[in-house]
Amino acid sequence: MFRLGLALVLFATSYCVLAADDTSETQQTLDAWQVLEKSAYAARELNYEGQFIYVNGEQSRTVEITHMNHGGREVARNVVLDANQREVYSKGNDIVIFQPTNKNVIIKKRRGKNLFPAMLPTDLSIIKANYSAELAGTEFVANREAQIVELMPVDAYRYRYKVWTDVKFGLILKMTLLNEGNNTLEQIYFNKISMLNSQNPNWFEPKIDISKQYVTEKNGPVTEVDNNWQVTNLPAGYQKINHIQRHVRGKNTMVDQMVFSDGIASVSVFIEPLAKGQRPKKGHMLMGSTNMCANVIEGHQVIVVGEVPEMTVQTIAKAVSLKK
Amino acid sequence: MKKQLSALIDGEVEIDDSEHVITAMKSNEKVKDAWKHYHLIGDAIRGDAEMQPDFSEKVLQALEAEPTVLAINKQAQSTPASKRTMKTPVFWSVAASVAAVMFVGLMVFELELGGQEELAPVEIAKSLPIEYLQAHQSLAPSGSSYYIQSASFTEPQQ
Repeated sequence: MFRLGLALVLFATSYCVLAADDTSETQQTLDAWQVLEKSAYAARELNYEGQFIYVNGEQSRTVEITHMNHGGREVARNVVLDANQREVYSKGNDIVIFQPTNKNVIIKKRRGKNLFPAMLPTDLSIIKANYSAELAGTEFVANREAQIVELMPVDAYRYRYKVWTDVKFGLILKMTLLNEGNNTLEQIYFNKISMLNSQNPNWFEPKIDISKQYVTEKNGPVTEVDNNWQVTNLPAGYQKINHIQRHVRGKNTMVDQMVFSDGIASVSVFIEPLAKGQRPKKGHMLMGSTNMCANVIEGHQVIVVGEVPEMTVQTIAKAVSLKK
Repeated sequence: MKKQLSALIDGEVEIDDSEHVITAMKSNEKVKDAWKHYHLIGDAIRGDAEMQPDFSEKVLQALEAEPTVLAINKQAQSTPASKRTMKTPVFWSVAASVAAVMFVGLMVFELELGGQEELAPVEIAKSLPIEYLQAHQSLAPSGSSYYIQSASFTEPQQ
Protein backbone atom coordinates (compact mmCIF):
# COMPACT_ATOMS: atom_id res chain seq x y z
CA MET A 1 0.00 0.00 0.00
CA PHE A 2 2.78 2.37 0.95
CA ARG A 3 4.51 1.58 -2.35
CA LEU A 4 1.41 2.32 -4.33
CA GLY A 5 0.98 5.61 -2.46
CA LEU A 6 4.57 6.62 -3.23
CA ALA A 7 4.14 5.69 -6.87
CA LEU A 8 1.01 7.85 -7.04
CA VAL A 9 2.85 10.79 -5.46
CA LEU A 10 5.76 10.41 -7.87
CA PHE A 11 3.39 10.19 -10.79
CA ALA A 12 1.50 13.27 -9.66
CA THR A 13 4.74 15.21 -9.15
CA SER A 14 6.19 14.34 -12.52
CA TYR A 15 2.88 15.10 -14.19
CA CYS A 16 2.79 18.54 -12.57
CA VAL A 17 6.35 19.28 -13.64
CA LEU A 18 5.66 18.26 -17.21
CA ALA A 19 2.41 20.18 -17.26
CA ALA A 20 4.14 23.28 -15.91
CA ASP A 21 6.83 23.10 -18.59
CA ASP A 22 4.36 22.61 -21.37
CA THR A 23 2.86 25.73 -22.86
CA SER A 24 -0.89 26.20 -23.08
CA GLU A 25 -0.67 26.55 -26.86
CA THR A 26 -0.59 23.34 -28.80
CA GLN A 27 1.96 22.81 -31.55
CA GLN A 28 -0.66 22.57 -34.28
CA THR A 29 -1.77 26.16 -33.80
CA LEU A 30 1.75 27.57 -34.24
CA ASP A 31 3.07 28.64 -37.61
CA ALA A 32 6.68 27.92 -38.64
CA TRP A 33 8.07 31.17 -37.23
CA GLN A 34 6.24 30.68 -33.93
CA VAL A 35 7.70 27.17 -33.67
CA LEU A 36 11.19 28.64 -34.14
CA GLU A 37 10.54 31.42 -31.65
CA LYS A 38 9.35 28.89 -29.08
CA SER A 39 12.53 26.87 -29.67
CA ALA A 40 14.70 29.94 -29.08
CA TYR A 41 13.03 30.59 -25.71
CA ALA A 42 12.94 26.89 -24.74
CA ALA A 43 16.71 26.52 -25.19
CA ARG A 44 17.31 29.43 -22.82
CA GLU A 45 14.58 28.93 -20.23
CA LEU A 46 14.39 25.17 -19.68
CA ASN A 47 16.58 22.97 -17.49
CA TYR A 48 17.94 20.01 -19.40
CA GLU A 49 20.84 17.65 -19.84
CA GLY A 50 21.81 15.50 -22.76
CA GLN A 51 24.40 14.52 -25.30
CA PHE A 52 24.68 15.86 -28.81
CA ILE A 53 26.84 15.12 -31.82
CA TYR A 54 28.20 17.73 -34.19
CA VAL A 55 29.33 16.66 -37.66
CA ASN A 56 31.11 18.92 -40.16
CA GLY A 57 32.72 17.32 -43.20
CA GLU A 58 34.73 14.36 -41.95
CA GLN A 59 35.04 15.67 -38.43
CA SER A 60 32.64 14.98 -35.59
CA ARG A 61 32.48 15.74 -31.89
CA THR A 62 30.32 14.44 -29.08
CA VAL A 63 29.35 16.99 -26.45
CA GLU A 64 27.64 16.54 -23.08
CA ILE A 65 25.47 19.47 -22.08
CA THR A 66 23.85 20.50 -18.80
CA HIS A 67 21.79 23.69 -18.92
CA MET A 68 19.87 25.50 -16.20
CA ASN A 69 18.08 28.77 -15.86
CA HIS A 70 18.39 30.23 -12.37
CA GLY A 71 15.93 33.08 -12.05
CA GLY A 72 16.56 34.36 -15.58
CA ARG A 73 20.30 33.69 -15.54
CA GLU A 74 21.51 30.90 -17.81
CA VAL A 75 24.30 28.61 -16.68
CA ALA A 76 25.59 25.75 -18.79
CA ARG A 77 28.39 23.24 -18.96
CA ASN A 78 29.49 21.64 -22.22
CA VAL A 79 32.04 18.83 -22.07
CA VAL A 80 33.60 17.98 -25.42
CA LEU A 81 34.23 14.24 -25.30
CA ASP A 82 37.21 13.64 -27.55
CA ALA A 83 40.73 12.46 -26.75
CA ASN A 84 41.51 15.93 -25.48
CA GLN A 85 38.41 16.41 -23.33
CA ARG A 86 37.66 20.05 -22.58
CA GLU A 87 35.06 21.75 -20.45
CA VAL A 88 33.18 24.86 -21.48
CA TYR A 89 31.35 26.79 -18.75
CA SER A 90 29.01 29.59 -19.61
CA LYS A 91 26.96 32.10 -17.69
CA GLY A 92 24.90 34.33 -19.95
CA ASN A 93 27.21 35.29 -22.82
CA ASP A 94 30.40 34.82 -20.81
CA ILE A 95 32.27 31.61 -21.52
CA VAL A 96 35.27 30.08 -19.78
CA ILE A 97 37.01 27.12 -21.43
CA PHE A 98 39.32 24.70 -19.63
CA GLN A 99 41.48 23.19 -22.36
CA PRO A 100 43.98 20.54 -21.30
CA THR A 101 47.29 20.17 -23.14
CA ASN A 102 50.08 17.70 -22.35
CA LYS A 103 51.34 19.59 -19.33
CA ASN A 104 48.94 22.45 -18.72
CA VAL A 105 45.30 23.30 -18.59
CA ILE A 106 44.74 26.52 -20.51
CA ILE A 107 41.99 28.84 -19.29
CA LYS A 108 40.36 30.76 -22.12
CA LYS A 109 37.76 33.44 -21.76
CA ARG A 110 35.29 34.15 -24.56
CA ARG A 111 32.07 35.95 -25.30
CA GLY A 112 29.51 33.98 -27.20
CA LYS A 113 25.90 33.34 -27.80
CA ASN A 114 23.64 31.10 -29.83
CA LEU A 115 25.44 27.95 -28.73
CA PHE A 116 23.49 24.78 -29.54
CA PRO A 117 20.60 24.20 -28.87
CA ALA A 118 20.08 27.97 -28.54
CA MET A 119 21.10 28.37 -32.19
CA LEU A 120 18.42 30.91 -33.00
CA PRO A 121 18.12 34.37 -31.47
CA THR A 122 14.83 35.13 -29.68
CA ASP A 123 14.39 38.11 -32.00
CA LEU A 124 13.94 36.50 -35.40
CA SER A 125 13.42 39.72 -37.39
CA ILE A 126 16.83 39.66 -39.14
CA ILE A 127 16.40 35.98 -40.05
CA LYS A 128 12.88 36.68 -41.33
CA ALA A 129 14.32 39.22 -43.80
CA ASN A 130 16.71 36.63 -45.26
CA TYR A 131 14.86 33.31 -45.06
CA SER A 132 11.34 31.97 -45.40
CA ALA A 133 10.11 29.31 -42.95
CA GLU A 134 7.88 26.31 -43.65
CA LEU A 135 6.56 23.45 -41.54
CA ALA A 136 7.73 20.14 -43.03
CA GLY A 137 6.17 17.26 -41.09
CA THR A 138 7.29 15.41 -37.98
CA GLU A 139 10.00 12.86 -37.18
CA PHE A 140 11.50 11.23 -34.09
CA VAL A 141 14.88 12.45 -32.83
CA ALA A 142 16.46 11.05 -29.63
CA ASN A 143 13.17 9.18 -28.97
CA ARG A 144 11.20 12.41 -28.99
CA GLU A 145 8.65 13.61 -31.50
CA ALA A 146 9.97 16.58 -33.44
CA GLN A 147 8.35 19.19 -35.68
CA ILE A 148 10.49 19.92 -38.74
CA VAL A 149 10.86 23.51 -39.95
CA GLU A 150 12.73 24.42 -43.12
CA LEU A 151 14.48 27.77 -43.41
CA MET A 152 14.72 28.56 -47.12
CA PRO A 153 17.16 31.31 -48.19
CA VAL A 154 15.72 34.21 -50.16
CA ASP A 155 18.82 34.28 -52.43
CA ALA A 156 22.01 32.31 -53.26
CA TYR A 157 24.15 34.11 -50.65
CA ARG A 158 23.20 31.67 -47.89
CA TYR A 159 22.54 27.99 -47.30
CA ARG A 160 19.32 26.24 -46.32
CA TYR A 161 18.66 25.10 -42.75
CA LYS A 162 16.42 22.32 -41.49
CA VAL A 163 15.42 22.41 -37.83
CA TRP A 164 13.78 19.64 -35.74
CA THR A 165 12.06 21.02 -32.60
CA ASP A 166 10.62 19.02 -29.72
CA VAL A 167 6.82 18.96 -30.13
CA LYS A 168 6.29 19.12 -26.36
CA PHE A 169 9.09 21.35 -25.02
CA GLY A 170 10.06 23.29 -28.14
CA LEU A 171 13.78 22.61 -27.75
CA ILE A 172 15.83 22.19 -30.96
CA LEU A 173 16.72 18.48 -31.17
CA LYS A 174 18.48 18.56 -34.51
CA MET A 175 19.67 21.02 -37.13
CA THR A 176 21.22 20.52 -40.54
CA LEU A 177 22.86 22.86 -43.02
CA LEU A 178 22.22 22.04 -46.69
CA ASN A 179 23.70 23.45 -49.87
CA GLU A 180 21.89 24.24 -53.10
CA GLY A 181 22.42 20.62 -54.24
CA ASN A 182 20.58 19.39 -51.14
CA ASN A 183 23.77 17.89 -49.66
CA THR A 184 24.11 17.99 -45.87
CA LEU A 185 27.18 20.08 -45.02
CA GLU A 186 26.85 20.22 -41.29
CA GLN A 187 24.58 18.62 -38.72
CA ILE A 188 24.11 18.72 -35.01
CA TYR A 189 21.68 16.50 -33.10
CA PHE A 190 20.85 15.17 -29.66
CA ASN A 191 21.18 11.44 -29.21
CA LYS A 192 19.80 11.71 -25.69
CA ILE A 193 18.02 14.51 -23.90
CA SER A 194 16.08 14.81 -20.66
CA MET A 195 14.52 17.61 -18.68
CA LEU A 196 15.93 18.30 -15.22
CA ASN A 197 13.60 18.72 -12.27
CA SER A 198 16.39 19.57 -9.86
CA GLN A 199 17.79 23.05 -9.36
CA ASN A 200 20.91 21.71 -7.70
CA PRO A 201 23.94 23.39 -9.32
CA ASN A 202 26.54 20.95 -7.95
CA TRP A 203 27.69 20.10 -11.48
CA PHE A 204 28.78 23.69 -12.11
CA GLU A 205 32.46 23.34 -11.21
CA PRO A 206 35.45 22.18 -13.24
CA LYS A 207 37.22 18.91 -12.59
CA ILE A 208 40.64 19.99 -11.33
CA ASP A 209 43.55 17.91 -12.60
CA ILE A 210 46.19 18.42 -9.90
CA SER A 211 48.94 16.96 -12.08
CA LYS A 212 48.65 19.96 -14.41
CA GLN A 213 49.42 23.64 -14.18
CA TYR A 214 46.54 26.04 -14.86
CA VAL A 215 47.63 28.89 -17.10
CA THR A 216 45.80 31.74 -18.78
CA GLU A 217 45.64 31.74 -22.56
CA LYS A 218 48.23 34.02 -24.07
CA ASN A 219 47.21 36.68 -26.54
CA GLY A 220 43.61 36.25 -25.49
CA PRO A 221 42.27 39.80 -25.19
CA VAL A 222 41.14 41.57 -28.31
CA THR A 223 40.39 45.22 -28.89
CA GLU A 224 37.41 46.62 -30.74
CA VAL A 225 38.44 49.07 -33.43
CA ASP A 226 36.90 51.34 -35.99
CA ASN A 227 39.54 52.13 -38.61
CA ASN A 228 39.57 52.76 -42.34
CA TRP A 229 38.99 49.19 -43.47
CA GLN A 230 35.52 48.68 -44.86
CA VAL A 231 33.48 46.21 -46.89
CA THR A 232 31.32 48.02 -49.39
CA ASN A 233 28.63 46.26 -51.46
CA LEU A 234 28.06 43.48 -48.95
CA PRO A 235 25.77 40.66 -50.11
CA ALA A 236 22.18 41.62 -49.18
CA GLY A 237 21.11 40.87 -45.62
CA TYR A 238 24.60 40.70 -44.07
CA GLN A 239 25.40 43.18 -41.31
CA LYS A 240 28.67 43.96 -39.58
CA ILE A 241 28.39 42.79 -35.99
CA ASN A 242 32.00 43.11 -34.87
CA HIS A 243 35.34 44.68 -35.85
CA ILE A 244 38.33 43.85 -33.70
CA GLN A 245 42.11 43.67 -33.78
CA ARG A 246 43.47 40.42 -32.46
CA HIS A 247 46.40 38.06 -32.29
CA VAL A 248 46.30 35.19 -34.75
CA ARG A 249 48.56 32.22 -34.16
CA GLY A 250 51.85 32.53 -36.02
CA LYS A 251 51.36 36.20 -36.98
CA ASN A 252 53.76 38.87 -35.78
CA THR A 253 51.39 41.79 -36.28
CA MET A 254 47.85 42.37 -35.06
CA VAL A 255 45.21 41.24 -37.53
CA ASP A 256 41.90 43.00 -38.24
CA GLN A 257 38.83 40.76 -38.01
CA MET A 258 35.36 41.88 -39.08
CA VAL A 259 32.38 39.58 -38.52
CA PHE A 260 29.24 39.78 -40.65
CA SER A 261 26.00 37.91 -40.02
CA ASP A 262 22.60 37.48 -41.65
CA GLY A 263 21.05 36.47 -38.32
CA ILE A 264 22.15 32.85 -38.46
CA ALA A 265 25.15 32.41 -40.80
CA SER A 266 28.39 34.27 -40.13
CA VAL A 267 31.43 35.35 -42.15
CA SER A 268 34.80 36.58 -40.86
CA VAL A 269 37.06 38.91 -42.84
CA PHE A 270 40.75 38.97 -41.81
CA ILE A 271 43.12 41.71 -42.97
CA GLU A 272 46.85 41.43 -42.38
CA PRO A 273 49.72 43.55 -43.81
CA LEU A 274 51.84 41.47 -46.21
CA ALA A 275 55.38 41.34 -44.87
CA LYS A 276 58.39 41.55 -47.19
CA GLY A 277 59.07 38.10 -48.54
CA GLN A 278 55.67 36.74 -47.49
CA ARG A 279 54.06 34.85 -50.36
CA PRO A 280 50.51 36.14 -50.77
CA LYS A 281 47.65 33.63 -50.84
CA LYS A 282 44.94 33.73 -53.48
CA GLY A 283 42.02 31.57 -54.56
CA HIS A 284 39.30 29.59 -52.83
CA MET A 285 38.77 26.36 -50.95
CA LEU A 286 35.97 24.42 -49.26
CA MET A 287 36.30 22.41 -46.04
CA GLY A 288 33.12 20.75 -44.78
CA SER A 289 30.64 23.60 -44.57
CA THR A 290 33.32 26.29 -44.46
CA ASN A 291 34.27 28.30 -47.53
CA MET A 292 37.55 30.18 -47.49
CA CYS A 293 38.75 32.74 -49.98
CA ALA A 294 41.98 34.77 -50.20
CA ASN A 295 42.69 38.06 -51.97
CA VAL A 296 45.33 40.79 -51.90
CA ILE A 297 44.14 44.39 -51.46
CA GLU A 298 46.36 47.47 -50.96
CA GLY A 299 49.36 45.36 -49.95
CA HIS A 300 47.31 43.41 -47.42
CA GLN A 301 46.37 39.76 -47.30
CA VAL A 302 42.58 39.45 -47.08
CA ILE A 303 41.14 36.09 -45.95
CA VAL A 304 37.36 35.53 -45.85
CA VAL A 305 35.98 32.54 -43.91
CA GLY A 306 32.39 31.47 -43.35
CA GLU A 307 29.80 28.70 -43.26
CA VAL A 308 28.19 30.25 -46.34
CA PRO A 309 28.22 29.55 -50.13
CA GLU A 310 31.36 30.22 -52.17
CA MET A 311 29.68 33.16 -53.90
CA THR A 312 29.29 34.95 -50.56
CA VAL A 313 32.97 34.70 -49.53
CA GLN A 314 34.10 35.57 -53.09
CA THR A 315 31.88 38.66 -53.18
CA ILE A 316 33.04 39.86 -49.76
CA ALA A 317 36.74 39.19 -50.55
CA LYS A 318 36.49 41.57 -53.53
CA ALA A 319 34.54 44.21 -51.62
CA VAL A 320 37.20 45.04 -49.00
CA SER A 321 38.70 48.52 -49.34
CA LEU A 322 40.42 51.31 -47.43
CA LYS A 323 38.36 54.44 -46.82
CA LYS A 324 40.26 57.34 -48.39
CA MET B 1 35.39 26.69 -5.78
CA LYS B 2 31.99 27.21 -7.36
CA LYS B 3 31.92 30.80 -6.15
CA GLN B 4 35.32 31.45 -7.64
CA LEU B 5 34.39 29.89 -10.98
CA SER B 6 31.24 31.94 -10.94
CA ALA B 7 33.18 35.13 -10.27
CA LEU B 8 35.63 34.23 -13.02
CA ILE B 9 32.83 33.78 -15.53
CA ASP B 10 31.09 36.97 -14.40
CA GLY B 11 34.26 38.94 -14.95
CA GLU B 12 34.37 39.96 -11.30
CA VAL B 13 37.82 38.42 -11.10
CA GLU B 14 40.51 38.82 -13.72
CA ILE B 15 41.74 35.54 -15.18
CA ASP B 16 45.24 36.32 -13.98
CA ASP B 17 43.97 36.47 -10.41
CA SER B 18 41.82 33.40 -10.63
CA GLU B 19 44.76 31.51 -12.02
CA HIS B 20 46.32 31.83 -8.60
CA VAL B 21 43.09 30.77 -6.99
CA ILE B 22 43.21 27.54 -8.90
CA THR B 23 46.93 26.95 -8.54
CA ALA B 24 46.73 27.72 -4.84
CA MET B 25 44.59 24.63 -4.50
CA LYS B 26 47.59 22.52 -5.26
CA SER B 27 50.51 23.59 -3.11
CA ASN B 28 52.73 20.92 -4.55
CA GLU B 29 56.48 21.62 -4.49
CA LYS B 30 57.17 19.60 -7.66
CA VAL B 31 54.54 21.53 -9.55
CA LYS B 32 56.06 24.80 -8.34
CA ASP B 33 59.45 23.80 -9.74
CA ALA B 34 57.92 22.82 -13.05
CA TRP B 35 56.04 26.14 -13.10
CA LYS B 36 59.32 28.06 -12.95
CA HIS B 37 60.75 26.04 -15.81
CA TYR B 38 57.72 26.70 -17.95
CA HIS B 39 57.94 30.40 -17.32
CA LEU B 40 61.59 30.55 -18.30
CA ILE B 41 60.97 28.69 -21.53
CA GLY B 42 57.71 30.53 -22.16
CA ASP B 43 59.30 33.96 -21.73
CA ALA B 44 62.10 33.10 -24.13
CA ILE B 45 59.75 31.71 -26.76
CA ARG B 46 57.46 34.72 -26.52
CA GLY B 47 60.45 36.89 -27.43
CA ASP B 48 60.81 34.80 -30.58
CA ALA B 49 57.13 35.08 -31.43
CA GLU B 50 57.22 38.87 -31.29
CA MET B 51 60.08 39.02 -33.82
CA GLN B 52 60.84 42.61 -32.92
CA PRO B 53 64.01 44.27 -34.25
CA ASP B 54 65.66 44.11 -30.85
CA PHE B 55 64.67 40.51 -30.39
CA SER B 56 68.19 39.08 -30.28
CA GLU B 57 68.87 41.52 -27.47
CA LYS B 58 65.85 40.12 -25.70
CA VAL B 59 67.27 36.62 -26.06
CA LEU B 60 70.45 37.78 -24.39
CA GLN B 61 68.43 39.45 -21.67
CA ALA B 62 66.41 36.31 -21.17
CA LEU B 63 69.56 34.27 -20.90
CA GLU B 64 71.05 36.72 -18.44
CA ALA B 65 67.86 36.73 -16.44
CA GLU B 66 67.98 33.02 -15.79
CA PRO B 67 70.61 32.84 -13.05
CA THR B 68 68.70 35.63 -11.28
CA VAL B 69 65.60 33.50 -11.21
CA LEU B 70 67.64 30.74 -9.62
CA ALA B 71 69.00 33.16 -7.06
CA ILE B 72 65.57 34.25 -5.83
CA ASN B 73 64.58 30.64 -5.39
CA LYS B 74 64.89 30.47 -1.62
CA GLN B 75 64.51 26.75 -1.60
CA ALA B 76 67.44 26.37 -3.95
CA GLN B 77 69.56 28.65 -1.79
CA SER B 78 68.84 26.69 1.31
CA THR B 79 69.57 23.31 -0.27
CA PRO B 80 73.07 21.85 0.06
CA ALA B 81 75.66 22.84 -2.55
CA SER B 82 75.69 19.37 -4.09
CA LYS B 83 71.97 19.57 -4.88
CA ARG B 84 72.33 23.04 -6.37
CA THR B 85 75.04 21.98 -8.80
CA MET B 86 72.80 19.18 -9.92
CA LYS B 87 70.06 21.65 -10.74
CA THR B 88 72.12 24.24 -12.59
CA PRO B 89 72.99 22.17 -15.69
CA VAL B 90 69.31 21.53 -16.24
CA PHE B 91 68.67 25.25 -16.52
CA TRP B 92 71.62 25.84 -18.81
CA SER B 93 70.71 23.01 -21.13
CA VAL B 94 67.21 24.44 -21.39
CA ALA B 95 68.64 27.88 -22.12
CA ALA B 96 71.06 26.49 -24.68
CA SER B 97 68.38 24.61 -26.59
CA VAL B 98 66.09 27.63 -26.65
CA ALA B 99 68.95 29.78 -27.94
CA ALA B 100 69.71 27.22 -30.66
CA VAL B 101 66.11 27.18 -31.83
CA MET B 102 66.07 30.95 -32.00
CA PHE B 103 69.32 31.08 -33.91
CA VAL B 104 67.97 28.73 -36.56
CA GLY B 105 64.76 30.76 -36.61
CA LEU B 106 66.68 33.98 -37.18
CA MET B 107 68.69 32.45 -40.04
CA VAL B 108 65.58 31.23 -41.79
CA PHE B 109 63.96 34.61 -41.33
CA GLU B 110 66.92 36.45 -42.85
CA LEU B 111 67.23 34.02 -45.76
CA GLU B 112 63.59 34.71 -46.63
CA LEU B 113 64.16 38.45 -46.46
CA GLY B 114 67.05 38.10 -48.92
CA GLY B 115 64.73 36.59 -51.54
CA GLN B 116 62.84 38.27 -54.36
CA GLU B 117 60.82 41.35 -53.57
CA GLU B 118 57.62 40.31 -55.32
CA LEU B 119 56.64 36.71 -54.86
CA ALA B 120 54.10 34.88 -56.96
CA PRO B 121 50.86 34.21 -55.07
CA VAL B 122 50.26 30.69 -53.80
CA GLU B 123 46.87 28.97 -54.06
CA ILE B 124 45.08 29.01 -50.72
CA ALA B 125 44.28 25.29 -51.06
CA LYS B 126 48.00 24.51 -51.24
CA SER B 127 48.85 26.60 -48.21
CA LEU B 128 45.84 26.38 -45.97
CA PRO B 129 45.66 29.19 -43.39
CA ILE B 130 44.26 26.96 -40.63
CA GLU B 131 44.98 29.70 -38.09
CA TYR B 132 42.28 31.83 -39.71
CA LEU B 133 39.75 29.02 -39.63
CA GLN B 134 40.43 28.73 -35.91
CA ALA B 135 40.20 32.50 -35.40
CA HIS B 136 36.85 32.55 -37.22
CA GLN B 137 35.46 29.70 -35.17
CA SER B 138 36.51 31.29 -31.90
CA LEU B 139 34.50 34.45 -32.61
CA ALA B 140 31.69 33.48 -35.00
CA PRO B 141 28.33 34.04 -33.35
CA SER B 142 26.66 30.76 -34.23
CA GLY B 143 28.16 28.25 -31.95
CA SER B 144 28.18 24.80 -33.47
CA SER B 145 31.44 25.11 -35.36
CA TYR B 146 33.06 26.07 -32.10
CA TYR B 147 33.10 22.44 -30.97
CA ILE B 148 34.99 21.20 -33.97
CA GLN B 149 38.21 22.93 -32.97
CA SER B 150 40.71 20.17 -32.50
CA ALA B 151 43.50 20.32 -29.99
CA SER B 152 46.05 21.11 -32.67
CA PHE B 153 44.01 24.10 -33.88
CA THR B 154 43.66 25.61 -30.46
CA GLU B 155 47.06 24.86 -28.98
CA PRO B 156 48.64 28.23 -28.33
CA GLN B 157 52.37 28.78 -28.61
CA GLN B 158 53.90 27.52 -25.42
